[in-house]
Amino acid sequence: MTVDEENRTNVQDLGKSGEGSASAGPVIDRRVLIQGAGATVAAATVLSRTTPLMAQAGNQPVKIGFIEDYSGNLSVYGLQKLHAAQLAVKEINEGKTLKGGPVGAGGLGAVGQFAAKPPVISKDGTSLAVVSDGGAKAKSDVVFAEDPDVLIDSGEKGILGREAQLLSPDGQSNNALWQQLARRLIQQDKVDVLVAGFASAEREAIRPIVDQAKQLYFYTNQYEGGVADANTFCTGPVCEQQVIPGVQYMVEKFGPRGYTIAADYNFGQLTAAWTRAFAPLVGGQIIGEEFIPLSVSEFSTVIARIQQAKPDWVMTLLVGQNHHNYYPQAAAAGLKFPMVSTVNMAQGYEHKRFPPPSLAGMHNAIQYQMEVPTERNRAFVKRWMAMFPNDQYIGEMAQNTYFTMHLYAKAVRMAGTTDQQTVKKALESGWNIEAPEGTVFLEPGTHHCAHYIRLAVCDENHNVSFVREWPMIQAWWLQRLGVNLVRNPEYKQYTPDEDPFFSMFVKGKNKKI
Amino acid sequence: MDVLGLIVSVLYQFATNAAFLLLAAIGLIVILGMMNIINLAHGELMMMGAYTATIAFHRGIPFPIAVVLSFIVVALFGALLERLVVRRFYGRELGALVVTWGVSLIMGQGTLILFGPFMPAISIPAGSFALGLYSFSVYWIVLIALAVLIILALWWIYQRTPFGLMARATMQNPAMARALGVNTDRIYMATFALGAGLAGASGALFAPTTSIAPLMGQQFVAPAFITVVVGGAANVLAGAVGSSLLLSAVKTPVGLILGAFLGTVALLLTALIVIRLMPDGISARLQAIAERRVRR
Repeated sequence: MTVDEENRTNVQDLGKSGEGSASAGPVIDRRVLIQGAGATVAAATVLSRTTPLMAQAGNQPVKIGFIEDYSGNLSVYGLQKLHAAQLAVKEINEGKTLKGGPVGAGGLGAVGQFAAKPPVISKDGTSLAVVSDGGAKAKSDVVFAEDPDVLIDSGEKGILGREAQLLSPDGQSNNALWQQLARRLIQQDKVDVLVAGFASAEREAIRPIVDQAKQLYFYTNQYEGGVADANTFCTGPVCEQQVIPGVQYMVEKFGPRGYTIAADYNFGQLTAAWTRAFAPLVGGQIIGEEFIPLSVSEFSTVIARIQQAKPDWVMTLLVGQNHHNYYPQAAAAGLKFPMVSTVNMAQGYEHKRFPPPSLAGMHNAIQYQMEVPTERNRAFVKRWMAMFPNDQYIGEMAQNTYFTMHLYAKAVRMAGTTDQQTVKKALESGWNIEAPEGTVFLEPGTHHCAHYIRLAVCDENHNVSFVREWPMIQAWWLQRLGVNLVRNPEYKQYTPDEDPFFSMFVKGKNKKI
Repeated sequence: MDVLGLIVSVLYQFATNAAFLLLAAIGLIVILGMMNIINLAHGELMMMGAYTATIAFHRGIPFPIAVVLSFIVVALFGALLERLVVRRFYGRELGALVVTWGVSLIMGQGTLILFGPFMPAISIPAGSFALGLYSFSVYWIVLIALAVLIILALWWIYQRTPFGLMARATMQNPAMARALGVNTDRIYMATFALGAGLAGASGALFAPTTSIAPLMGQQFVAPAFITVVVGGAANVLAGAVGSSLLLSAVKTPVGLILGAFLGTVALLLTALIVIRLMPDGISARLQAIAERRVRR
């Protein structure tokens, strides 16, 4: 009894100190910055010197440059991302922020902050037991309480007392226009941060401009991985976080033989290469693959080839409106192979757009989609739908954009300035941010994020369930290659060809295994 | 059983590919083939048909009636478009090209603003049947039959009805047709409306197989133009049928053996070679052969 009571008061204390640190977030953050990371001595001097300047510039808004496609072929994704940015900026200006802060390397440890009750030794003393979420004693349990919501007060309206302003021109799904817009935002508008990019082609189109200006740049998309750029922070998941869990599950559940159909450009080619390289490691093999030009919209031949190959499962990496027609056409042709993907369903919400059972049997190791069954996500969806009642779906990259905006605001508060080089250093302090998906950890050396990955499955009626969870998967491939952007700034994209690892497991490239 | 399945599968794919080209081109056959208007809004007219059918279908109207409805709606829109815009550009091919492109932009972005990036699709009617390893969609077989029927109906209208006679006269020699008492203005409008309506109906027929989105029409534009241009203008209907059969006969085996990418390459290469060897299209060659026979 006494133990329990003590326990409870401890919890309350914990709760109080938690709240205290949250509301006084910026102050503590600065202290950590000054004391902790050695590199930030310079930042601290900048901070003290620029304080009078900041007071003068107090009325100037913090300019957030934001390019996405609100029209054209990719507008289905771009409009979601725009709304995510607008929601985040509104919350920032209303004095809200997401939980989290620079906790240094250690990532998941931060979750402990939110444990409802700490573990205790049971009174009989014979065995170690923990008090579970519900209060009952158990031999083992997850010491983890779900936050009802992760949105808390930031202690100020806007960022450093300045209003956050979103400059969001339309990229129109046109790479040439993207370059013009990036130049305009960087050179004329002199944005404090640039958040932009859906397709990998768009990112690669503007990255040289970003690097020339040393512009702080966030790429919020799920993508093929490999970007090692000192100015770029990639907050979406990459191949190693999605392909391996997905393929592993398919091999376990349905059998070893997979067949890949992929969009014929860098994203599809590279993700297919990952699949090909990793299937053998989990006991599978890719018995055939086909790359489909983005203009193809009629799939009878592709379907016949899959029927001929009779795989155990199909990896679909289909991008854009034309390719989405594969699903209803395959369903109408009676194709019933289980499918796995890293993009479909979570981004273009094909399971909402096409009538059942087009997407039946689709698996995707996602990091976020609207159905994620947690209380904090339901709260996020509710806030979103209150602002945009007519929206049909909140996809993976919309959520990334949302937490990225809050992450930027927090990093600026820690740096005490919007000076881009200082904010970049602040971002390299091992950030943990509590996003709707779960805890996200921004790894300083590679500028990539560790994510909470869930395996989503779509049933015959297009209901989504989550059958397996990986609370944190690192984006480890760049680390494997020895990339450390803090020590050695680089400005390139690595491809699997540059890693002997891949050819080691796939004997003879492009050979059907 | 597997051999039978394979043979049926190859035939099915051949017919599906040909029907896809033919249905995509069907509105353009009338507008480009007969009126010589390079209609870049063709895809958007198909999109409008698909939207009309989808909206009607979700209001509880049976799908076949929804298809007829979209023919009527898009035909009326086509008539309006011809009255207000297109008629000012007869005889000015490049002007027509630019103005229809503008119309297509307005229609595409207008739809995005009005209806958002996507609409819930229609499920593909009818089921599938299996033969050996392979299974086939019943709906695509219906589409193949409908493509044949629509071509026959068009042929009948243009070769066997008074309207067809007047229309052909108007296209060949408008001044003479007018002198003989044909109201060429009305013929132009009716022909454009018919072409638009057919584009709308084919868009509606494709609606269950595709995502319903503002730019969905773009996927049909290139195949449609390739089919009509390869077919040529000497006899548009025969040309379009010939070119879609030829292109499918190349694309199907290449696609099946070497994959969709090389299948598309083979289709484009064939189009290139045909246009190089027969600048007036397949129909001109067919006509020349037919004439030679008659002379003999």
